[in-house]
Amino acid sequence: MTTDTRRPSADDPRVLLDEEIGVYEQIPPYPPRTEREAEFYTLGDGQMFINMGPQHPSTHGVLRVVLKLDGEKVVDIDPVLGYLHRGVEKLCENADYHQAICYTDPLEYISSLFCEWSPVIAFEKLLDVEVPRRAEYIRVLSAELNRIASHALFMGWFALDLGGLTPILWSFIERDEIVEMLAALTGQRMLFNYFRIGGVNGDLNHEFMSRLGFWMSRATQQIESNLTLLNENELFVRRARGLGTIDSATALRMCMTGPNLRATGLPFDVRRAHPYSIYPELDFDIPTRTEGDVLARYLLRMDEIKQSLRIIDQCLHQMPDGPIMARLPRLLRPRPGRAYAAIEGPRGQYSTYAISDGTDQPFRMRIHDPSFIHLQSVGLLMPGNLVADTMAVMASLDPIMGGVDK
Amino acid sequence: MSRAWGRLTLPGKVVFTLVPLLLVLSVALVIVIAVFGGAMLDILVANVGIVRFLVAVTILLLLAPPSAFIIIYMEMKIIALMNLRLGPDRVGPWGTLLSTVHGLKVLMKEDFTPTGADRIVFTWAPIVVFMASVMGALVIPFAPGLIAQDLNVGLLYFFAVGGLSVVGLLMAGWSSYNKYSLLGGLRSAAQMISYEIPLTLSVVGLLILAGTMSLNTIVENQGPWFTDWYVFQQPLGFVIFFIAATAEANRTPFDLTEADSEIVAGFATEYSGMRFGFFFFAEYINVFIMSALLVTLFLGGWQAPFPFPELHIALDPGSLGIWLLLGIAIVPVVATLVLAAPFYLLRSSTPWWQALIAGFLLFNVLAVGAVLGIAYVNFDFVAGILWFMGKTYAFVFVFVWMRGTLPRIRIDQLMGFAWKWLLPASLVNLFVTAAAIVVVGN
Amino acid sequence: MSLIPGFGMVRGMALTLRRFFEPKVTVRYPEVKPDIPHKFRGRLQLLYDEYGTLKCETCFQCAQACPIECIDMGGIDTKGRFHVHWGAAETYGERRDESALRRSGRPVPDAAYAHFEAADLSALEAILEEHDHDPAHMLQILEATQAAYGYLPVAALKRISQTTGAWYAMIYGTASYYRHLRFEPAADERQAEALSGRRPSEAAFLSGLDTALGGGSDRRGVN
Repeated sequence: MTTDTRRPSADDPRVLLDEEIGVYEQIPPYPPRTEREAEFYTLGDGQMFINMGPQHPSTHGVLRVVLKLDGEKVVDIDPVLGYLHRGVEKLCENADYHQAICYTDPLEYISSLFCEWSPVIAFEKLLDVEVPRRAEYIRVLSAELNRIASHALFMGWFALDLGGLTPILWSFIERDEIVEMLAALTGQRMLFNYFRIGGVNGDLNHEFMSRLGFWMSRATQQIESNLTLLNENELFVRRARGLGTIDSATALRMCMTGPNLRATGLPFDVRRAHPYSIYPELDFDIPTRTEGDVLARYLLRMDEIKQSLRIIDQCLHQMPDGPIMARLPRLLRPRPGRAYAAIEGPRGQYSTYAISDGTDQPFRMRIHDPSFIHLQSVGLLMPGNLVADTMAVMASLDPIMGGVDK
Repeated sequence: MSRAWGRLTLPGKVVFTLVPLLLVLSVALVIVIAVFGGAMLDILVANVGIVRFLVAVTILLLLAPPSAFIIIYMEMKIIALMNLRLGPDRVGPWGTLLSTVHGLKVLMKEDFTPTGADRIVFTWAPIVVFMASVMGALVIPFAPGLIAQDLNVGLLYFFAVGGLSVVGLLMAGWSSYNKYSLLGGLRSAAQMISYEIPLTLSVVGLLILAGTMSLNTIVENQGPWFTDWYVFQQPLGFVIFFIAATAEANRTPFDLTEADSEIVAGFATEYSGMRFGFFFFAEYINVFIMSALLVTLFLGGWQAPFPFPELHIALDPGSLGIWLLLGIAIVPVVATLVLAAPFYLLRSSTPWWQALIAGFLLFNVLAVGAVLGIAYVNFDFVAGILWFMGKTYAFVFVFVWMRGTLPRIRIDQLMGFAWKWLLPASLVNLFVTAAAIVVVGN
Repeated sequence: MSLIPGFGMVRGMALTLRRFFEPKVTVRYPEVKPDIPHKFRGRLQLLYDEYGTLKCETCFQCAQACPIECIDMGGIDTKGRFHVHWGAAETYGERRDESALRRSGRPVPDAAYAHFEAADLSALEAILEEHDHDPAHMLQILEATQAAYGYLPVAALKRISQTTGAWYAMIYGTASYYRHLRFEPAADERQAEALSGRRPSEAAFLSGLDTALGGGSDRRGVN
């Protein structure tokens, strides 16, 4: 009798794996909900599923990936999203325009300033506000610092996924210095909440400038020296070269932007293609690479760090005097209309589409997040690789699950 | 009675239980020795080989966890320093006791078996792995005369026992009822079997040179100058052996079996408590033993790099008579006071008791140094063990250093490297050595 | 990658060995406190003066200035009128439900206001309907409410806050800014005369001022 209770009933379709202990095959959602699911959850000869995440050590947050394996080779992949879903867009629609910025902050928590920047520009377009030039310079300065922090952290995580223990800590040192100086500027270490509609929250202060000066005096050399550990390492280069290759046509079809697109050879950068803020006045290059593999994506981000350092240098030299906030009423009621603003984040084009209905809350706010867009191409990149490379490919796309799940 | 017992603290209870027990046991032991002592001694003397083996195994088993603790601490501290961190610095001086505390923590943790696991195999796997690593140490000569068992097929025995750990890892991977464990176990089997071949072949050239498989004889051959070490006659063999040994010990860049960013912890995913502790110890003992074998085969083992001038300090403390006792009573006090004086006199803010403690510690350091010096000069095995340990820990440092620097290699590259590069290279090494022997011999 | 195989790895090893001897960046936390930036926005704190009383005067200016409504006030002040509490509304039990309900757009039952006298709000509803619940017409709404009730009852202010969506703090700020709006029933004329009679010079000054400005005496007694 006791054994009977452990058996599935006649209409329970689950597969009983082991009668002794009553273990059932867990993974397939049965019956399959879509054709794709039916195809994916049908095992071929000698294949098995393996469930990576959401608590796997290296899935960059709470991504769950179901891998269909043939030995060590990945045959197919099914990413499962939504473990970090908070409904940020809906929250923003229930908050007024100032408060909405605060909600967008923790989307891509590694590069919070960019997450603030695009809604701020969209709201400024709705309100038709002229932002003071000094505020624009401060925005560019702090945002490029944040880009360096994000790329430095990418280097560390990427190396960690390939098994290197040391680069993550070295890159955290750089990131920590940047984050500390941004804390001196904005008042927070991670979720800065610094950009305001019509300007920024506070002017440059002495503490920030002295920290920045000290860091800039040694940043280039330090980052170069950190990079020799990986860039010249044969093990690393051999593993990364030719892995997860994507050509530019496919990349465009998968809606890739940012470093991942530029690594395939297309010099598309929102800062140049659709200029915003003061970027037209600044002198910087858009690094591109043609290989489109994991190594190219990694090296491209490292090149971008150098360009960001150039931009910061120019910002410091050209910084004008003046106010840092436009004069605005406290309660913002833009006229009914719609606005779209795109910026170039560390991961690609980050944009916001906002509709105003004349009240003090956005009627609709849609956030386009590059992490989510890039994650859809893992289905193309991963099959055929080994288990060891799944994490490297995923890390090279640099998704942040806060932004993917929104 | 029970009220008095209840009032005791925990240490009190332990002491009050142990003291009578010890008393009874020692009395029993004395009686047993008095009655059967002679007969037992005869039996032991008759079977001295077995007794020696058992004693050596017991000592090695007892020494294995402490040496693993030392290497774990080294790894934590060295990688931390390379990462620009401080590393362990809270438990004990400079954090030296941290790995010991980790060991105790592992002992106290719950030791569970996952549902669906094959209980018997699951329980035995860590024991097999641990024993395989410890047994390898049986044939390693730590110093002249300090070798557990001087087998004439020592090297063969070492490789045979080292090969056993694959069985353990495979058992662990198979019995855990976890796909990550299975992947880890299969990876370890593939990797270790592939690297056994270049590891063994790289040594064959050396065996031709040495003409023996006894590790003790191999070490004795490499003296007295460091130019006699086999590393200078077999440089290629040394490099191949080093790489293959890294792979055999599952160290970075070949640590695919427990690649935490790919397959969570490999074969050890489902293990916890002391069973995991056995895997953990085995890994670090493996590092130690691989370094020790490397040093024994190629770097002269316990031989000093150059012969020291013959120097014997003939000490005969017994001839001093009563003055020896007086000296033992007086010298420490006087020396402590003398050594404490500068601390007390040269800084006026130092309290007298701190100066005394500093002087006492300094005296201890000097006394230990003097005793060690005399022992080094007078006893061969002290000198041998110092040199052996120094060389071995230098190589442990190199292993740790590599772990702090290099990323992990991929499984197909790993296998390709073993079969396409290391195996041909070791064959070339073998042929060249054999040809050279033939030419020089003729 | 260099020409000699393995040379890049050796360079990496040399780099880690050099870092091995470099000074470390770890902050030994309990012994060494890290520098907190001057501008750091940590937890909100109310300051006390040297006698141990709160320096906060419940002027609500901070709550009005805060762009993301992370400052709110709750509790009862010394006169038993207004809420004195600080921090985000969500962090206080007495305001947590209210905050959640307010965000979801539902009417808020408020235990902290329960001891205020209830007012018949039908007149207020008419006024609000007339002004289309528009917070931009706050002054007109408040004036109409005062005309209807004679003063601004707390219950009415809460109702205005709920229906127009304006923060209570802002309504209170508006109402307290204009002198002709009052939060308590006006004292009657005789009492006001008696009150100002205690200060003859002030009464004389005020009446002189009134006649000079050509105003009536109806504003006397307010404030």
